[in-house]
Amino acid sequence: MFNVLKQVGDYAKSTFQAAKYIGQGLAVTFDHMSRRPITVQYPYEKLIPSERFRGRIHFEFDKCIACEVCVRVCPINLPVVDWTFNKAIKKKELKHYSIDFGVCIFCGNCVEYCPTNCLSMTEEYELASYDRHELNYDNVALGRLPYKVTQDPMVTPLRELGYLPKGIVEPHDLPAGSQRPGQSIPLKTEA
Amino acid sequence: MNQGIDLKASFIESLRDLGLPPGVAKLIWMPLPMFLMIIVATVGVLVVVWLERKISAAAQQRIGPEYAGPLGVLQPVADGVKLVFKEDVIPAKADPWLFTIGPILVVLPVFVSYLIVPFGQNLVITDLNVGIFLWIALSSIAPIGLLMSGYASNNKYSLLGGLRAAAQSISYEIPLALSVLAIAMMSNSLSTIDIVNQQSGYGILGWNIWRQPVGLIVFWIAALAECERLPFDLPEAEEELVAGYQTEYSGMKFALFYLGSYVNLVLSALIFAVLYLGGWEFPIPLDKFADWFGVEPSNSWLQIVTASLGITMTVLKAYFLIFLAILLRWTVPRVRIDQLLNLGWKFLLPVSLVNLLVTAALKLAFPVAFGG
Repeated sequence: MFNVLKQVGDYAKSTFQAAKYIGQGLAVTFDHMSRRPITVQYPYEKLIPSERFRGRIHFEFDKCIACEVCVRVCPINLPVVDWTFNKAIKKKELKHYSIDFGVCIFCGNCVEYCPTNCLSMTEEYELASYDRHELNYDNVALGRLPYKVTQDPMVTPLRELGYLPKGIVEPHDLPAGSQRPGQSIPLKTEA
Repeated sequence: MNQGIDLKASFIESLRDLGLPPGVAKLIWMPLPMFLMIIVATVGVLVVVWLERKISAAAQQRIGPEYAGPLGVLQPVADGVKLVFKEDVIPAKADPWLFTIGPILVVLPVFVSYLIVPFGQNLVITDLNVGIFLWIALSSIAPIGLLMSGYASNNKYSLLGGLRAAAQSISYEIPLALSVLAIAMMSNSLSTIDIVNQQSGYGILGWNIWRQPVGLIVFWIAALAECERLPFDLPEAEEELVAGYQTEYSGMKFALFYLGSYVNLVLSALIFAVLYLGGWEFPIPLDKFADWFGVEPSNSWLQIVTASLGITMTVLKAYFLIFLAILLRWTVPRVRIDQLLNLGWKFLLPVSLVNLLVTAALKLAFPVAFGG
């Protein structure tokens, strides 16, 4: 008899608990509605990529010694290094260099291992094109200076969360000269 | 019982003064409220779609639609127009007749149910004496349409979605009907007008929320399941079933499903407002106040004010419930099919039965408070 009552009581208790949890969840959702949107209006506003962003790879033709280390460390042997051996000066001469960004996974191994630092990562990430063959960048395309979000007059650059002052989670309408915690020099973004 | 504005009587009266026979006058009147209701329901859906998108965006710290019209209010219109102009595809080997009738059968009963939604003492298309029962009866036609379209699509996902929709609708109709039954028992009537009148007179204290707290929760859960709103949107669970019975639909037929689901949500919210939140009643008893200030009940200004206030209150209550449904959508994860049926049969059904019995007992014990 009492056993049944206890069961009923336990069931009722668990039901109330479930209702309480749903209520707490609703409170969380409701609280979120009063927060400001974190939307970045993309073509008009862009986040500034972080310092260690691994974007399109930049290549300096004159520094390259055609050692092919980049090819060896690449997970898929992607860079194409076209060189000939110049017998007169007993040195390799680089003729062409290309990386296909349609295949590249932007792991950065080539940049890491390049002995002459002729490869570097840029903050450029808008590589979309209508033809995948256009993603196969030759040494001329690889040598172009990267697009910078902060230098585009059409774009409002926005800082990422890690670059915002302490306690601020939203990059819009930051006071000028505000700096992130631990950074003594203000970031030149709002210029 | 002839208080408040009676548009019908005055309209027919004025036509008869023009020299028309009473039959013709009535015939001219009849389509007017129906068209008005269809327009109201459709505009209500547009508002709800916009609200849904904006509130969802706010809950997720997004902005939501903002380019079509001010604050994106025209976005649902743009969606609708796009769907109207889209190609109407009937898949190969689908049953074209069932495929076409399905969405119509889903939408039509919902619109017909608007017959019994009252916005004021006389602001209702028909005051049927079986009012609320008509709604329950009509809402059980929808699963046939869902099953029909799921079966006719010649698609596994559609069939599964249709079967789930039918199972869900059938199992949640029972607790829904039982919780409505408790209300009907208290107000001694199935007419929506009588249900609201039974709650009137004491402002917010007279509403059924205080007398039916359990029935209210059961009703709202069951209504959400009937509308296939998010905690119970298994029939169209996009992660598992693509879009359920809507998978093969495009263009206008898809728009019918879309419209139907939102019209159903608005309807459920309106019915909830009528059953539990006192329909068109203001939270403070206005007629008492008017009496204290010495304003005659037949004062035309008072009548206009109370009528417009009634419409506003009904719509406000309904939209509050829709807001709750949207908030719930982003709070509660989707239940599994076994959890859904467990909740329906093992929890809501016994709870609503007990609620019914307790209501009956209370009615016998305290006939003053529980409408004896």
